[in-house]
Amino acid sequence: MVNGGREPVGTGPRGPVCRYRPYPTRGTETLGVQTGDLRYFLEDQDGFRALIIGYPMPEAAKKKTLRIDSLIRTLLRSALLLGVVFGTGGSAQAQLYSGKELVKAALLSDASSIAPGQKFRVGVLYRIEPGWHIYWKYSGDAGMPTKIQWQLPPGFKAGELQWPLPMREKEPGDLEVFDYTSEVLLFAEIEAPATLPAQPVSIQAKSDWLVCQSLCVPGRAQISLNLPAGSNTPSDFAPAFQKYASRVPKQLGSPIKLGFSRTGKSLVAVVDGIAKDVSLDFFPIPPEDAVIGHVARDGNRLTIPIESEAKPSARMDGVIVVGSDNSRQGYEINEGTVLNRVQSQKDSPAAGLPGILQMLGFALIGGLILNVMPCVLPVISLKIFGFVSEARMDAKKAFRLSMAFSLGIIGCFAVLAVLVILLRTAGAQIGWGFQFQDYRFVILVSCLVFAFALNLFGVYELSVSAQATQGLADLARGQGYGGAFFQGVFATVLATPCTAPFLGTASAFAFAQPGWVTFLVFLFIGLGMALPYLLLAINPRWLRYLPKPGAWMLRLKQCMGFLLVGTLLWLIWILGQMRGPDAVVGLGAILLVIAILAWIKGAFWTPISSRRSRVLAIVAMGLVLCLAAACYGFVTKPSQLVWRPFSKSALDEALASGKPVFVDFTADWCLTCKTNERFAIDTPKVRQEFLKRDVVALKADWTTGNPEITQILKQFGRAGVPMYLIYPSGNKETQPLLLPELITSQTVLDALNKT
Amino acid sequence: MIKTLLFTCGLLVAAAGLSFAEPEVGKPAPNFSLPDTQGKNHTLADLKGKYVVLEWYQPDCPFVGKHYRSGNMQGLQREYTAKGVTWLSIDSSAPGEQGNYPAAKLDEIAKQDGAARTALLLDPSGEVGRLYGAKTTPDMYVIDPKGILVYEGAIDNKRSTNPADVKTATNYVREALEAAMAGKPAPTPATRPYGCSVKYVSK
Repeated sequence: MVNGGREPVGTGPRGPVCRYRPYPTRGTETLGVQTGDLRYFLEDQDGFRALIIGYPMPEAAKKKTLRIDSLIRTLLRSALLLGVVFGTGGSAQAQLYSGKELVKAALLSDASSIAPGQKFRVGVLYRIEPGWHIYWKYSGDAGMPTKIQWQLPPGFKAGELQWPLPMREKEPGDLEVFDYTSEVLLFAEIEAPATLPAQPVSIQAKSDWLVCQSLCVPGRAQISLNLPAGSNTPSDFAPAFQKYASRVPKQLGSPIKLGFSRTGKSLVAVVDGIAKDVSLDFFPIPPEDAVIGHVARDGNRLTIPIESEAKPSARMDGVIVVGSDNSRQGYEINEGTVLNRVQSQKDSPAAGLPGILQMLGFALIGGLILNVMPCVLPVISLKIFGFVSEARMDAKKAFRLSMAFSLGIIGCFAVLAVLVILLRTAGAQIGWGFQFQDYRFVILVSCLVFAFALNLFGVYELSVSAQATQGLADLARGQGYGGAFFQGVFATVLATPCTAPFLGTASAFAFAQPGWVTFLVFLFIGLGMALPYLLLAINPRWLRYLPKPGAWMLRLKQCMGFLLVGTLLWLIWILGQMRGPDAVVGLGAILLVIAILAWIKGAFWTPISSRRSRVLAIVAMGLVLCLAAACYGFVTKPSQLVWRPFSKSALDEALASGKPVFVDFTADWCLTCKTNERFAIDTPKVRQEFLKRDVVALKADWTTGNPEITQILKQFGRAGVPMYLIYPSGNKETQPLLLPELITSQTVLDALNKT
Repeated sequence: MIKTLLFTCGLLVAAAGLSFAEPEVGKPAPNFSLPDTQGKNHTLADLKGKYVVLEWYQPDCPFVGKHYRSGNMQGLQREYTAKGVTWLSIDSSAPGEQGNYPAAKLDEIAKQDGAARTALLLDPSGEVGRLYGAKTTPDMYVIDPKGILVYEGAIDNKRSTNPADVKTATNYVREALEAAMAGKPAPTPATRPYGCSVKYVSK
C-alpha cells in the first residue's frame, strides 16, 4: 500500500519540479554520504514515491528528471540495486513501524512557477498508512495536532494554515479524537514579494505529527520545494489543492446563524437556518487552558460540557459541521464570527415580555386549579363564611381579612421560591448545572414527575404531621388580621398533600430558570390559589357559583396524574435524544424501583398503619433498593476476560495458533447466558486458568440472529443459545467439547483439564 | 409542606451527588484499590495524611517516552518521594493493547528507566482509569493529605513528544505540589492532558 489504496502507483498527476532533501537518517549514513548533502530533484509524484519506497522510477519520469547530480544518481542506483530501502527516513524520521512507513509527507505547490506579487498555495501532502490517523488542530481527548512550520525566503509571507474538515472518531474508553485518515493536504497561501530573484526560490517546511492506530508513533519531516520565477502557471497539483480547499470550512454566514448561551458548566451552541433532519455537529477548538467534554446534539442545540477553564467563556471557536459523509460542509467560527443573540430557555431576560407573561398566566391558572383539589375546595366556603361573620357584615373588613389570608398563602409560595433559588445557587456554586441539556437533571426531573404522578393516582398519600404544624396551628388560632394571615399559611401547609405534586414539579422545572422568573412564577401560583378568597370576599353571594365538593375532585386529581405522565413522556424523549435507547431503558428501571417503593409506602406506611407494618415497610424498601443495586451491578459490570468476536475465520485462525479455544455462544436477551457468563465464566478461577493456558476466548453474539452462528448451533444439535465449545490445544482435527447449557466454574475448569 | 420540601430537596441532593462521581478539583478524590507489580495492594483511603500523585503511564507511548528519556519524570519522582509524596503510576492498558506487559517486564523497564515512583499499579480492566476519567498517558492527578484533588491534567505546558521541550516547559505537577505544600491553591488547578489515548478495553 503506497498511497492508502487510492490510486494505482504510476498514474498520479504530473507535477512541478520539486527539490527534495531527505531528513538525516540512518539510511543515508550507511551510504557514507554526509547528512544533508543528499539532494535530488524529482519530476513528479510518481517519481517521488518510487524513490521513497525504493522502486525504480518510471521511464517517463526519468526522462524529464532535471539536473540529477551524477554522484547522487549513481548512489541511488546502487542503493536500489542493493535493495536498501533508500528513503525510509526520507520524509519521516525513523518512523518505521513493522517495516512500514506510516506517513509520507511531501511539499507541493499549486503553481509551477511564480510571478512577482503573486499569491499561490503551498501545502504538505500526508499519505497515511491504512488504519492509522494523524490529528486535526484540536486533537480531541488524546493525540497531538499536526504542526507545520514554514521557512520562507525573505519577502515571502505565509497566510494561516488551512485545515480540511477532519473526522470525529471514538476510541475505547469513551475517548474521542479529531483526525485524518488515508490522505490529507494541509496548506497555506503564500504571497510572493514584488521583486523575485533570478534563481528559483526555496520554500521549506518542517512538519511534526503523531500518527496513531491503537498505538502512537511520532514523526517529522523537513521538506523543501524549489519554485522558479516566471509567468503565473498552475501546477499539476492544482486540482489536489482545489479538492482539499473545498473541504476547508467556510466562514459561517447566511442562512446559517449561530449563537451561544452559557449555563453553569455547559456552553450551548444554538444553530438556526438548517433543516431539522440534517446531521449537525460541532468540532470545538477550545483554548489551550480549557478542558472540555464531548459535544452532544439535541435538535439544533449543541452542548459543549466545560470541565475546566482559565476564565469563563461565553463562546468557543470551532467548526459547525452540517450534513454527513461526503456531503459534509464545515462552517468556521472564530473570533470574527458575528454571533446570533440567543434567546436561551434559561438565561433569557430577553425571552421577551410575552413569554414571561404567558408563563405567569399559566402559573395563575395553575394556582387557581389548586383550589379544586380535594383538600382545598371544601375549605373555601368555610373560610369565607368565617371572614364575613368575623367582620360582622362590614364588607370592607371582610375584604381586608381575606386579603391578610391571601397574603399568608402568597407568603408561603414566596418562601418556597426563595428556598428553590437558594438551593439552585448553592448547587451552581459547587458546579451543578441545573438544565435540560444535562441528562442527569432530566433523569432527576423524570423521577420526581413520576413519583408525583403516582401520588395523584392515589398509589400513596403524602401527609403533614400534626407535630410539625402545631406551632402554626397556635398562631392561626388568633383573631384579626394577624390571625387571618397565619390561617392562610396554615391552610396552604395543610393543603400540601394535594398540591405537592404540582408544586414539586413546578419547583423542579424552576431549577432551570433564572431566579427572578422563579420568584415571579411562584408568586403567581400563590396569587392564583388566593384569587377565590379575594373575589368571594368582595361579594360572598358569588359562593353559589363555586362547584360543590364531591367525588369528582378525586377523579380530577387522577386525571391530573395523566397530565404528569404525559410530561414524563416528553422528558423520556429528550433523554433518548441525548443518551440513546439504553438510557431510556435505564430510566425505565429507575421508575420501576420508584413505583415499587411508592406502592410499599402507600400500602404499608400510612398514618393509620401499625408500627410493625411501618418497620416492615422500611425493611422492604431497603431490600428493594439493595436488589436494584445488585441488578445494576450485574447488568453493567464489564467482563474482565478478553473476548474476541466470533467468526468462522476467527475460529480457524485461533485454532491454527495452536492455543486452546473457548467459544461462548450468547445473546443479549438470553438471561441464562448472562448468568453463566457472570457466575461461571467470568470468575477469578476461570480467568486465571484461561490466562495460564493462554486460552483464546471467542464470543459468538447471536443477539440479532447471525446466520453463520445459527448454522453452527444447528451443527451441534442446538436450537439456540447458550452453547459453549472448548477446542483442545494444538489439534485442529479434534472435536470440541460441548458443555451443558447450565454451567458452573467447575464445569469449565473440568472441561479445560480434560483437553 | 415542610416535609414535601425536604423530600424534594433530599431527592435532588442525593441524585445530583450520585451522578457527579467523576473527580473534580477541590473535591475528594474517588477511592480505589489496585495491586502493584509486586502484587501488593494500594488503597487511596489508606494514604490520607500524605500527598499522592497519580501518573497514568504506559511505557510505549512516545509522550511518556519524552518524560522518561529526558529524565524529567524520574527526577520529579525522586524529588517528591524524598519529600514524602506517594507517587503511584497507573497502567490502564487492556490486555492485548500497547503497554500491557507482565509485571516482571514492567519492573524491568522501571529499572532501566531508573524510575523512582512509589509503585506501579496495574489496572488492566481500566476501571480506575475510567473512575478518574484519565484520557491520556501521561495524565496527572495531585491529591492533598486530606484526600482532596488539587490538580488534574497535563504534566506540563509543552504539548509535544520532543524531550528538549522539558527544559523550557512549566511543570504543572511541580507547581501544584509546591503550592499545596505552601498551603496555597494550585495556580493552574486543571489543564487539558496531552498524550496517547489510554488503551482501554473496547466495550
